[in-house]
Amino acid sequence: MKTETIALPEILKTAPITEGKVSIGSLDDQVLAHVEIKPPLVWFVAFAITSSVMLIGMALIGYTIATGIGVWGNNIPVAWAFDIINFVFWVGIGHAGTLISAILLLFRARWRNAISRFAEAMTIFAVMCAGLFPLIHVGRPWVAFWLFPYPNQRGIWPNFRSPLIWDVFAVSTYFSVSLLFWYLGLIPDFASLRDRTKGKIRKFLYAMLSVGWRGAASHWRHFERAYLIIAGLATGLVLSVHSVVSFDFAVSLVPGWHMTIFPPYFVAGAIFAGFAMVVIVLVVVRVTMRLENLITMYHLEVMNKIILTCACIMGYSYLMEAFTAWYSMNDYIHHTFKQYVAGTYWWAGWTTITCNILIPQLLWVRRFRRNYFTMIFVALAVTVGMWFERFVIIVSSLHQDYLPSSWHIYKPTLVDFGILLGSFGLFFTMVLLFARVLPVIATTEMKTVLPGTRPRHRGGEHE
Amino acid sequence: MSNQAFSVLGLFDNAQSLLDAIPSVKSKVSARLDAYTPYPVHGMEDALGLRKSPVGGMVFVMGLIGAIAAIAFELWTEGVDYPLVTAGKPVLSWEAFIPIMFEVTVLFACFTSGLGMLFLLNRLPLFRHPMLRSKSMPLITKDKFALAVEADGQPLDVDAITALLRKAGAQAIEVVEQPAPPDPISPSLLLKVAAVIGISCLVAGYVTYWGVKLFPLSIPVVHMLDQPRVDPQRESSFFKNGTAMRMPVAGTVARGHLPFTVPSQEEAAALANPLPRTDDVLKKGRQAFATYCSVCHGILGNGVPTLTSVYGAKPANLASQQIRDYQDGKIYYVIMMGKNAMPSYAADLSEDERWSVVHYVRVLQRALNAKDEDVRKETLK
Repeated sequence: MKTETIALPEILKTAPITEGKVSIGSLDDQVLAHVEIKPPLVWFVAFAITSSVMLIGMALIGYTIATGIGVWGNNIPVAWAFDIINFVFWVGIGHAGTLISAILLLFRARWRNAISRFAEAMTIFAVMCAGLFPLIHVGRPWVAFWLFPYPNQRGIWPNFRSPLIWDVFAVSTYFSVSLLFWYLGLIPDFASLRDRTKGKIRKFLYAMLSVGWRGAASHWRHFERAYLIIAGLATGLVLSVHSVVSFDFAVSLVPGWHMTIFPPYFVAGAIFAGFAMVVIVLVVVRVTMRLENLITMYHLEVMNKIILTCACIMGYSYLMEAFTAWYSMNDYIHHTFKQYVAGTYWWAGWTTITCNILIPQLLWVRRFRRNYFTMIFVALAVTVGMWFERFVIIVSSLHQDYLPSSWHIYKPTLVDFGILLGSFGLFFTMVLLFARVLPVIATTEMKTVLPGTRPRHRGGEHE
Repeated sequence: MSNQAFSVLGLFDNAQSLLDAIPSVKSKVSARLDAYTPYPVHGMEDALGLRKSPVGGMVFVMGLIGAIAAIAFELWTEGVDYPLVTAGKPVLSWEAFIPIMFEVTVLFACFTSGLGMLFLLNRLPLFRHPMLRSKSMPLITKDKFALAVEADGQPLDVDAITALLRKAGAQAIEVVEQPAPPDPISPSLLLKVAAVIGISCLVAGYVTYWGVKLFPLSIPVVHMLDQPRVDPQRESSFFKNGTAMRMPVAGTVARGHLPFTVPSQEEAAALANPLPRTDDVLKKGRQAFATYCSVCHGILGNGVPTLTSVYGAKPANLASQQIRDYQDGKIYYVIMMGKNAMPSYAADLSEDERWSVVHYVRVLQRALNAKDEDVRKETLK
């Protein structure tokens, strides 16, 4: 049969995922060189700031542990406050990384190869920040190992019907699998670094980390298959992790928490906040590390489209939540939802709606999706909005419970704010270190999508 | 042996020319073929005739094992070993165990996939592979593609293969040498390794010992022992007399401790035992007697206890005629006030217990001086 070549309209053509001429050799020179050069002054300034903030947070955590969590504002009935807000917030940020690295891999979205490494790294660091909060929230972190089912002289086991123990399993599985997935992707890049670097110690370290990878075809076939399988499993995992986090709320009987929409709504919110954080960090990386030709405007625009989609899902979720509350005909739920928008913390509720639903609507305009100022503005708004969303869910729901005599206005202390700030310090310190010692772009994965790198066989170029 | 060829590499500029070269080389040599590429090249498996990766099957089996292990463990701990009823659910409510089962399945499957691929299928880490020392390796990890004809036991005909690879389009050729076999391990190295292991064990043991000893006593860990409250018998600057404990108000009577105002044993004879002689009362009396009285009076109350020789005194035989003639009140008086060497048991026994003991002493007296009619008819037969 004769094949006719039909000229595709411009709009249907896949946008190139790189700008200018990038060959697989120049890609290595551009990306991997960053771990070999002395970092610029701006890096040291940034590192000084983030690590100082991190140290403030660490000192306050030390103070909390040495004194007791009475130094926080938490008190019955608001027993969960900043610590759990921050936990849910950071776990959510991590989810964008897995979405980009796993779900978009399964969907064969080629553009994800340029940003997957950074997004995965952010997953790991965000989950580290997240894991910190439940650990210090238990009050006596040195016996946190009681959460794990191990045979003990007390002859008791954890309660496997409790969503809190599901959380322990979900988050620790999520962290280990993300770390494994990230490391596997790094192995071929470690091999490239091993063969490039001159320093003896560095060469030794990269050689150890690359476990002797030599790029044999007989290895790649197992590697690719294993990588794809983990991506498939991680897709289920990432959906389960935030669902389990939402079970912490949904399985309880607190009005405002006991809702079936929570799992999908939490997952969408997590991806929403995560993409916003990815946009913020990638814009900075793109400019400071001169990666404009690899992380293109197209990438940022696609991510902004995902943020816009998530904003719409969030809007639907808020409306559906309100509808469910109204339809429940339950006075307690009605009361809680009135508290969200017109109670003591009305400003938190309206900040959430403004930042998560209204401001992202700017991204309907193509010009705004491709403008640093607007995209950073929207991403910051989403980050703030998603933090306040968890504040509304946790504090506004808890501060007026079934027993009016114990109603309590929650006020965070300086220690609460300091530890929140410290977690940002930890996150960005890790990001900065990562950008210095590891390739910020998965060069091996990028090589597979550069023009001309996929051989034609069985009649045409395909993936 | 050292200069024997391990493989002959032909370097290509792109994946397409490597793929195109494979069929012509493959048809002419019997040695093992492998390709070395900077990234996974699609279609390479088919071209080289490699079989499909078995990772999928491994993952399925291990995932299944993870799922079964998790649900079985949860059912056993929550339903069998330590049955825990939560929210009135049946102890084997499996629905609540699904989330953890799912997480464990994913954990097992992912680590099987990742580590099984690295360690089992690819036999990594391997730092002594001859390829890693070849000059082409830095090119391969960057942007060159190599087709390797590898010695699979038999020596390679280097010249013929070189010509073949050149003809197939290779831009450059490298002969990778078989590395010299490693030297046998010397005794001095073994000694050093043993010394390092020994010292590490000592250090680790020392640190662990002191860590385990001191950690539970360090400051945040013992915080809950140190609470802002006053304990009995402690000092307190809050009160004028400097003690934390307060004296009761004058005339305070503790519950169950009404003052005992009977002046003498003779007058106590008038007291009547307020308790009925029921099984429960007698059981209570027997328990209190066994705990407090039997040490001196003997388990039968006959004054023959195990402690007599040690104690030196001669406790009363409760079954003696003198005590059998006591009214209940007189026995009660002795328990309250003590007699001769016997101290008061007023503080140890409640009023009910004291009267129960009186009843029980009567039981012992009757048992030790039993008449024929005290024995049940059925027992006599």
